[in-house]
Amino acid sequence: MMKYIVVGLIVFIVYVSFAGSTSPYTLATATIISGVLSALTAKYLVVDERKLMEPWRLLVLIYYFFKYMTIIEFKAHMDVVKRTFTMDIKPGIVKVPVNAKSRYARSLIMGSITNTPGTVVVDEKDDYFYVNWIYVSSPDPLEAKKAISEEFENFAVKIFD
Amino acid sequence: MSRRIIILILLFTATLIASFTATIILNPATPSELKGLAKYYVLNTINETASPEAVTAIVWDYRGLDTIYETLVLYLAIVGGLAMFKMSEEALLKTRIGLTLLSKTSTKIVALLIASIAAAIVFHGHLSPGGGFPGGSAVAVASMIIIPVFAAGTLIEKGVSSTKLVAIRGAALTALGLVALLPVVKGLEIVTNQRFYPASILGLPISGSLSLYNLFESLAVASGFTAIALYLSIPEEAHKGGSGA
Repeated sequence: MMKYIVVGLIVFIVYVSFAGSTSPYTLATATIISGVLSALTAKYLVVDERKLMEPWRLLVLIYYFFKYMTIIEFKAHMDVVKRTFTMDIKPGIVKVPVNAKSRYARSLIMGSITNTPGTVVVDEKDDYFYVNWIYVSSPDPLEAKKAISEEFENFAVKIFD
Repeated sequence: MSRRIIILILLFTATLIASFTATIILNPATPSELKGLAKYYVLNTINETASPEAVTAIVWDYRGLDTIYETLVLYLAIVGGLAMFKMSEEALLKTRIGLTLLSKTSTKIVALLIASIAAAIVFHGHLSPGGGFPGGSAVAVASMIIIPVFAAGTLIEKGVSSTKLVAIRGAALTALGLVALLPVVKGLEIVTNQRFYPASILGLPISGSLSLYNLFESLAVASGFTAIALYLSIPEEAHKGGSGA
């Protein structure tokens, strides 16, 4: 039941903010649409309903969002800006192990890696990501993980695993 | 290194100067007065069609008959397109792998967001810019990212078949035609709006037939484009091998 409520709520919020109005007509159609869409899609979107009952996961996600968008992104951008001017690059593809189990955690790690400039996930196989990296400081998977995705993974495991 | 920086700064300055000069010299003056026809629509749309959105009112009311024939033309085009693909869904069932688990996860979320926004476009089409065709196309975008990511075979297994999609499209178009024809029963012209359909239901503004047209048009467009996308994802070998029906 919880999954239908949560998915419906997301649809409701997106619908109302996109329509940009809180008139009775918008709210009435939003209720119908969120009911229909969550009935159709919730079973594909939510695998483990119990995790939705743990609100601290959401708090960690919000904290991570702000930390990622400000500090982590800023550092990564500054690094790439510096490398653009100095052309001090050593590009290559490294193998990075992932321990997170759930697909949402993995997607968050992948998105975080790709969205920071300088690193792009190009493939995923078994328990490894293949990351195209602007400056390969070490080809060793564990060393590379420390430099690329360890922080992301710690957060992702707390939020989704 | 220093030459690189100088070139970058020069380029940046040149772009800034160019865009400022272009804005000042080419400044397209906004007309201070509306032309007669535009004035007519601005002043009368809300009274004659019960819709504040003049574009939708023109498309489905003032020139409603034209739009309905246009929809029919698109319907025939899609039927023609589908008829050109000689295939059975067995060929599609072989394609089941799709992209990585990560792409699938993100696509699920994105598709849900696209669907929510598409619904907002459709259901506010008679109140703000939007409507049946843009909303239906947005749904089609969602299905066009779902099909390659999850592979057509997986969707067919889940019960999404092109036969069903074409059936939805046919039903939506029939409903659209009925909305246009119903006023004739009461002796009014075809595609009559305000003299036959109510402007609001339970106090909610629906602008008469405009919201109905938008709803059915969006269903027709979404299912039609999804069916085409499904057919386009047939692997090439299926065509060559002649394994089609």
